[in-house]
Amino acid sequence: MHAFAERFSTNGAAAELRRAKEILGEDDDVSDVMWGSSGGFGSLVNGVPKFAVPSVPDPTSFLRMHTDDHADPSCRIKIKHGTTTLAFRFKGGVIVAVDSRATAGSYVASGTVKKVIEINPYLLGTMAGGAADCQYWETYLGIQCRLHELRNRERISVAAASKYLSNLVYSYKGMGLSMGTMICGWDKTGPAIFYVDSDGTRLKGDLFSVGSGSTFAYGVLDQGYRWDLTDEEAQELGRRSIYAAGHRDAFSGNTINLYHVKEDGWKFIGNYDISEMHYNGPGGADGYGYDVRVQGRTSANPPPEAAAAQA
Amino acid sequence: MDHFPTNWGRPRNDAYDAYNTYPLHQRPSNAPTHDKFADAVQRTQQPIVTGTSVLAIMYKDGIMMAADNLASYGSLARFKSIQRLHAVGSNTVLGASGDMSDFQHIQSLLDALVTEEFTHQDANTLGPAEIHEYLARVMYARRSKMNPLWNALLVGGFKDGKRFLAYVDLLGVTYTAPSLATGYGAHIAIPLLRQAVDGRQDTLTEEEARKLLHDCMRVLFYRDARSLDKYQVATVTDAGVDISDTIKIDTTWDFAEGIRGYGAQTQ
Amino acid sequence: MPDGSFSHPQQRQFNPYSDNGGTILAIAGADFTVIAGDTRQSEGYSIQTRYAPKVFRLTDRAVLAVNGFAADGNMFVKKVKQRLEWYRHAHAKDMPLRAIARLIQTMLYAQRFFPYYVYNILGGIEEDGSGAVYSFDPVGSYEREACRAAGAAQSLVQPFLDNQIYFKNQAAAPNQSHPAHLPLPDVLSIVIDSFTSATERHIEVGDGLEIYVVLAKGRSAQGLEGARGIQELSTKSDGDRVFVIRRELKKD
Repeated sequence: MHAFAERFSTNGAAAELRRAKEILGEDDDVSDVMWGSSGGFGSLVNGVPKFAVPSVPDPTSFLRMHTDDHADPSCRIKIKHGTTTLAFRFKGGVIVAVDSRATAGSYVASGTVKKVIEINPYLLGTMAGGAADCQYWETYLGIQCRLHELRNRERISVAAASKYLSNLVYSYKGMGLSMGTMICGWDKTGPAIFYVDSDGTRLKGDLFSVGSGSTFAYGVLDQGYRWDLTDEEAQELGRRSIYAAGHRDAFSGNTINLYHVKEDGWKFIGNYDISEMHYNGPGGADGYGYDVRVQGRTSANPPPEAAAAQA
Repeated sequence: MDHFPTNWGRPRNDAYDAYNTYPLHQRPSNAPTHDKFADAVQRTQQPIVTGTSVLAIMYKDGIMMAADNLASYGSLARFKSIQRLHAVGSNTVLGASGDMSDFQHIQSLLDALVTEEFTHQDANTLGPAEIHEYLARVMYARRSKMNPLWNALLVGGFKDGKRFLAYVDLLGVTYTAPSLATGYGAHIAIPLLRQAVDGRQDTLTEEEARKLLHDCMRVLFYRDARSLDKYQVATVTDAGVDISDTIKIDTTWDFAEGIRGYGAQTQ
Repeated sequence: MPDGSFSHPQQRQFNPYSDNGGTILAIAGADFTVIAGDTRQSEGYSIQTRYAPKVFRLTDRAVLAVNGFAADGNMFVKKVKQRLEWYRHAHAKDMPLRAIARLIQTMLYAQRFFPYYVYNILGGIEEDGSGAVYSFDPVGSYEREACRAAGAAQSLVQPFLDNQIYFKNQAAAPNQSHPAHLPLPDVLSIVIDSFTSATERHIEVGDGLEIYVVLAKGRSAQGLEGARGIQELSTKSDGDRVFVIRRELKKD
């Protein structure tokens, strides 16, 4: 919306925030859940938390100017970014696989990021986009899911949980949130995956991949996907797909985290080093990338037939 | 969803490339374009009438601060007998560079604060540390409202046998050191001050301190085009605050005769 | 671009941020954590002061290092300390480390649209007695790690820590494995070496070094007794304990 119009408008995210502040009549950032008898019991239960907004005519362009941008390296605030994630549904449940690299500009800020957020024992969320946005709002979603259980005496459905998140981020549309997430779980309807992003998109589906490495992951995923994969085949497909993305996409890499959601909740399958996968593979003797490229290329490493002939 | 990580975590600019048509390395700039309506709100977005450097050091008996008497209007030497040192209570002196109208606002804030404290009649007075903390909060709060008080301030004082010297500026940045300077002084005078003061705060005499600041003010006058050869010195000791009369800087310009190689005269 | 979309606005606008340089790092051991920072504060090429602390004791088992924009950093530490004090009044105990980490996340995220330009590293002892390091980005995403460097020289120091702490790109000797945790004296010398090297190669690092050491309850101060310039900061001697070691760094 136009900056000038936005300042006086009565709807839109900025106006919402302004109004919330006026109604609560609270100091900028001191709320009474921070002290007194309820001190330290957290502030997330009292509805959507409040956010400080810079008092400039166009807060959105303010944030755009000061947060990182490869086109303007002088931008100082480097927000961490997550990168390749995938999830697919098959007869044995849901496989969720992600890499673990976070980049700030071209710097690898971390190689050990947990991009699968454990919302509760039956729900997983994945992280692509702003790491803080995903962590914070999926934690917040966890609180709301628990409240739903307490109020309704039954677990929230994946559809409802994902809709809660998508409605929430939609209310901040245009303000700079960045999340591309898959809400995965098992409910009364069986295994379910919903793709939710910060534009407000919410899609139900069998197979998604999100992030800059998603194209590489889709390539492997699509050629190997069948509904009736066995559990082992499905886990291997997830692992192999993230490996492909980590290998070919500069913004993805380090390690793979693999989860499997079944009727009794999610289970963490394992953490796999991507370069270890390249040379040795998950079993230790069947690398995804190295041997297939070099086998038979040197006399020190002849193909099996030649080696047999020599002997 | 924009899948390019370098664009993540930042507001979208729907005006450009909403469909990711550019390759990663030549994505169009997301920098904000000029919004004509942004001009509708006017705040202190730049200083108008300005003061230049303030210098301050610790010495044996307390602290000493110096600032010249000029308030410039751009490159015009507009007001030539402005006092930029301000006593706050009886233990503190405040020196200001930057916008003079914002400085006057700060003076009135502080005067009100000191009066308020006095009316409590609890035998408590505000010392330099309290004044500095207060100013730091005011400056940071104003910068956070994107409506800064466009100053760099030095706060010096002496209370309960302790010297205090600290800096605070329009961003709310604070620090303390045995010798401080704002503006041009931070580049030109600081090396001289640090060489003479750091590590010698407890032995430096008042005469030495005065001479040091005098020499630094002269160096500044030679090189800072927004400075004046008239300045004042404030001391804060256990005897309280003393702000001197205007001091004239003794200058010689003979050396200029011998300079060749730049400016209009090249021979 | 002919439409000028690559050019930046010419209008002079107030920039509420600055970068005050410096570097911080933290390393977790089995039953201790070391959190360190240099004390130089600079802006551009000017050294504003040679002593401005960036590492702060929060409780007897938590230490916070802040780096980035000094005004935001100091204000943020002030607010965290205030929240911890309120917690103490409400619960008559110190907030546990992992709760402080979550508190810092929510406090940073509250400024999502006007961020604190601050990189935080929180170090200390968890309730189970293990050493822990939490690192944050400016808007609150966080992660528990064994070590982390942040600030001006993070790209110089972090690869060194990856090699020395995580043993990245190092092969263990035959029939041996890398230790999961290093002993305190080794960690201290890695910290000191990190900062002396960063001082050599980064202009915004130097002047002074403050190393905070948090020891788990019941752990002896073994490994610290020889340290020069050490000072204890803990309020009790029978709980977790905090020490600070101050050293000089090159000032050029």
